[in-house]
Amino acid sequence: MSDGDLATPFRERATRALGDRFLQEALTIATTKFITLRQEAFGDYPEGEALRDRARAIKEATLQHLDEHLERLIDNVERRGGHVHYASTAEDARRIVLDIARQSGARLAVKSKSMATEEIHLNEALQAAGVTPIETDLGEYIIQLAHERPSHIIAPAIHKTKGQVAELFARELKRETRPDPEMLTRIAREELREKFLQADLGITGANFAVAETGTVVLVTNEGNGRMATSLPRVHVAVMGVEKVVPSMTDLAVFLAILAKSATGQKLSVYTSLVDGPRRGGELEGPDEFHLVLLDNGRIKQIAGTLREALYCLRCGACLNVCPVYRQIGGHAYGYTYPGPIGILLTAMLEGPASVKDLAHASSLCGACADACPVRIDIPRMLIELRKDVADKRIAPWSERLVFGAFGWLLRHPRLYRLGAPLARLLQRPFTRGGRIQRLPLFFGSWTRTRDLPPVAARTFQERWAELERSR
Amino acid sequence: MSTRAEFLGRIRAEMAKTPGLFAATPSARPDRPRERLDVLRRELSERWAESLARFVREFERVGGVFHRVAEVAQVPDVIASIAAERQMRKVVSWHPAALRLDLAGPLSGRGLQVSAMPGAEVTAAERERLRAVVAAAELGVTGADLAIAETGTLVVVSGGGRPRSTSLLPACHAAVFDRDVLVESLAQSGLVLEAWHDGPESDARGAAINFITGPSRTADIELTLTRGVHGPKEVHAVFVENGLAGGSRG
Repeated sequence: MSDGDLATPFRERATRALGDRFLQEALTIATTKFITLRQEAFGDYPEGEALRDRARAIKEATLQHLDEHLERLIDNVERRGGHVHYASTAEDARRIVLDIARQSGARLAVKSKSMATEEIHLNEALQAAGVTPIETDLGEYIIQLAHERPSHIIAPAIHKTKGQVAELFARELKRETRPDPEMLTRIAREELREKFLQADLGITGANFAVAETGTVVLVTNEGNGRMATSLPRVHVAVMGVEKVVPSMTDLAVFLAILAKSATGQKLSVYTSLVDGPRRGGELEGPDEFHLVLLDNGRIKQIAGTLREALYCLRCGACLNVCPVYRQIGGHAYGYTYPGPIGILLTAMLEGPASVKDLAHASSLCGACADACPVRIDIPRMLIELRKDVADKRIAPWSERLVFGAFGWLLRHPRLYRLGAPLARLLQRPFTRGGRIQRLPLFFGSWTRTRDLPPVAARTFQERWAELERSR
Repeated sequence: MSTRAEFLGRIRAEMAKTPGLFAATPSARPDRPRERLDVLRRELSERWAESLARFVREFERVGGVFHRVAEVAQVPDVIASIAAERQMRKVVSWHPAALRLDLAGPLSGRGLQVSAMPGAEVTAAERERLRAVVAAAELGVTGADLAIAETGTLVVVSGGGRPRSTSLLPACHAAVFDRDVLVESLAQSGLVLEAWHDGPESDARGAAINFITGPSRTADIELTLTRGVHGPKEVHAVFVENGLAGGSRG
């Protein structure tokens, strides 16, 4: 399933974003602030670099024995009276959650922010089945009221002004207010408090799940994760299989770097460890606990080119530093996960054809890999995706023709040398001020978004030959 | 929908296609975490004052309000003044045995309505009633099972007499603790979590462990920091210098 917005090509979506002055300003302010906060957090934390290496090693080690860790997790969750479900596809996951909702007679579900449930488009399915899903993260609540999608992994509503939020609350909640974040937040607290107390079903994701103990871990700043796991009768956590970590000792390593990478906090306000359903003597907590293990394209990548993307903690750091994301924002990407890691995750979930344009929405500058807390080599995988898109003939024929011809020429030095004078002749009518800014026919798709440097008056090979002669 | 066997089978099939990966290991886990924790606690008790100073710095940095009293008998005064300054009247607290402190007695004469949570299982109807009491309360008083200096974090473990909502639903949360629960770092908290999950778990322990680092916050509207979204707007930490009576030391 995809966003309605996908009907328009990526280039147009990006162009529209570039023309949106408010979006441009909001993106610059938000991403710059996140970058600064992240740098300050790690600046104060000399042990951070070594911990990032450690975290990366833990992720890799976990993948190498993923079956064992998942088995241990499953056994421990079941030992504590929880139920584990296995979803190969998004559709499976939706059906599992709907069955749980139906069996428990739930009418109202509160949701704590979760990319996994965004990914499987759970809300639409719940709605259709007569269960009202309420997003409770403030940013998610805002975009749910506005019928939009998140534009950033950790700040879903950064594209909205406080004025727009005030209008939205007036229209949707019939609550008139000044455009003041404090007042808007208070209104949301009141509205959502009622929902938390009424809801039968709490739906969350999982930032981590600890295999040794069967513990699901949720990280939030607002407290909605605690609410959703404490008040409703039934708790369902939907989690990608790659979120399992072996032990509590490993968990402590991730906690030390996750919030610093995401928001520059030393720790997010709430880290909630859920050891299954309510136990005897407890006043609250769900009577039923369900864990939905989600594949949806992940398992195939254990041996695939996108394996390393399975390390991702969903912190959003790579979005903030990406020169492309900073210009176009999350919506232009068109899928659940935006930014550099989002391109890889989209390819993982939707297949390589879905990223034929997005795979090129990167300057390969490497800022994402530097910012990533677990040092995922995103540029390398983007290049591999581009290759995949070309090999599988997903790229447009004109692109494949031009690059095919160029590649052939590079493999034939003699012809290549002859090509230079010819190119100089052909490029003359198109060169202005030392740049080629517009080309005819399908060559134009290159120059539409960037200049092409012309072939030099004397190429390197020609100079080299001259130097050799003059020795 | 698949079964456990099919699902894990597919994972194993993919894993088999990935030979020659670089060597990587998860973190080394402590052998006997409970014993290790006892040793650590003894070490930490030598330098609790430094840990506390760091805790206070970090706790205040995240917007917490720190109070320090010499004796446990002074705690009700602190609670009363927090309530009085904010014109709060409805107080809920953990069960006195879990809190290791009786608030209802000393506070009831001071115009405060104090509801202590039950220490044992109650009927479903009573649970409903208590939920309404907590939801209407303005101030929630809990203990703390761990205080992490590095991050200014208070950790509360749910269980009989220690409901999750006490530190969640009221707009103001106060946690009472002493030096015994102080640790220095997140890494040490990892050892504590290992120990808590090691071996047969006590029946008294509930299913929720919450790390609380300051008041509930959001920056979702134009990145403006706002406190008290769903959880408390204010968090107070009340440190009892001479320790809480009858403490389960360690």
